[in-house]
Amino acid sequence: METLDPPKNAIELSVFWTWMGEDGIARTKTKPLAEITIKEAVENSAAVSSLYVDRKFPLLIDARNIKSMEREARSHFSTHGRETKITAFAVMVKSPLSRVIGNFFMGLNKPAVPARLFDDETDAINWLKKHV
Amino acid sequence: MPKNLKDNNSERVQEILDVIMSYARFDFSKKTSVIGNETLDAIGAGVNMLGEELETSTISLKEKEQLLKEIHHRVKNNLQIVSSLLNLQSENILDKRYLDLIIESRNRINSMALVHEMLYSSKDLSKIEISHYVERLSKGIEHSLSKNDSSVKFSFNIEPGLFFDIDHMIPLGLILNEIISNSYKYAFPSNEGTITIEMIDTEQFYRMTVKDNGVGFKANFDVKRDSNLGMQLIYMLAEQLDGKVEINNELGVSYQILIPH
Repeated sequence: METLDPPKNAIELSVFWTWMGEDGIARTKTKPLAEITIKEAVENSAAVSSLYVDRKFPLLIDARNIKSMEREARSHFSTHGRETKITAFAVMVKSPLSRVIGNFFMGLNKPAVPARLFDDETDAINWLKKHV
Repeated sequence: MPKNLKDNNSERVQEILDVIMSYARFDFSKKTSVIGNETLDAIGAGVNMLGEELETSTISLKEKEQLLKEIHHRVKNNLQIVSSLLNLQSENILDKRYLDLIIESRNRINSMALVHEMLYSSKDLSKIEISHYVERLSKGIEHSLSKNDSSVKFSFNIEPGLFFDIDHMIPLGLILNEIISNSYKYAFPSNEGTITIEMIDTEQFYRMTVKDNGVGFKANFDVKRDSNLGMQLIYMLAEQLDGKVEINNELGVSYQILIPH
């Protein structure tokens, strides 16, 4: 089941859509050929944090359309941007490009919360449900 | 595969290779172009990210080098301050015995300060070439101890390309300082003679020989019984390097220090 089409109430940023799913898992999806610098990374963190009400939540990141993510953005996502409101995050990759960027991010920037790469959305959701 | 696609792939592979070679030369200004979602785009993106990581590591390494330089500089400055204070103190001392003690202490401090000075001035912050050090140290001791009418000369025969780290250089410098100072003080009553310093790498150990062609030890001189602080220091510092000291009292005094690799 595809749950990664942004709903109407999604927060739309320059290269992301971000929203809270009915299952308590937040979602953020990169726009086609998204180039993520530190500016976009900080914007995204702020948007994800704005979904917080009274408890931390897991996050599903759809990075299948990503084009690039600069070093400062990778560092931000692994240390600052995801540690306050997020319990875990899963990154969806598919194309060779998104796979390389995803693996590079995971391999070199030890995220502060549990994080994994997934090809399959259902697997990602099932894993994130353990961190709701 | 269509010819135009093949040509395009060859161009892109060449472009990625050019960027990799730039990174190998520590030039991180270039990036590969990522235009689609194909395998070469993925490889290009990976190379770009690797370049960013390498650039950050290189900057961090340069900062650490700069910090190390700064530390050596400060240690040298502090040692020079102590040396200058001893100099000032010596101006008020009339008793030659105390004056000599202060000059000896000052020269020991200077031998250590020189190691730090040469380390921060060198390209490689971890080691210095001993031939350069020996020549500068000898000049410093000559300046400190030589009398106006002195014609004591130095002869150097040091294998080029012998580098030592700070853990070796500090004891070696102090040993050299003691031996050269002893020659200046006792070997040449007529203020004339030669101090020869040799060093070679025998592949098993480094052999440093320091000899003078002066009057030699007194007839009844016993190294163990009559050693002054300087002589004790030579043995103690050689031991610190796991080395051995051999002293010969023929045609002047000769010290041979063997230091294992």
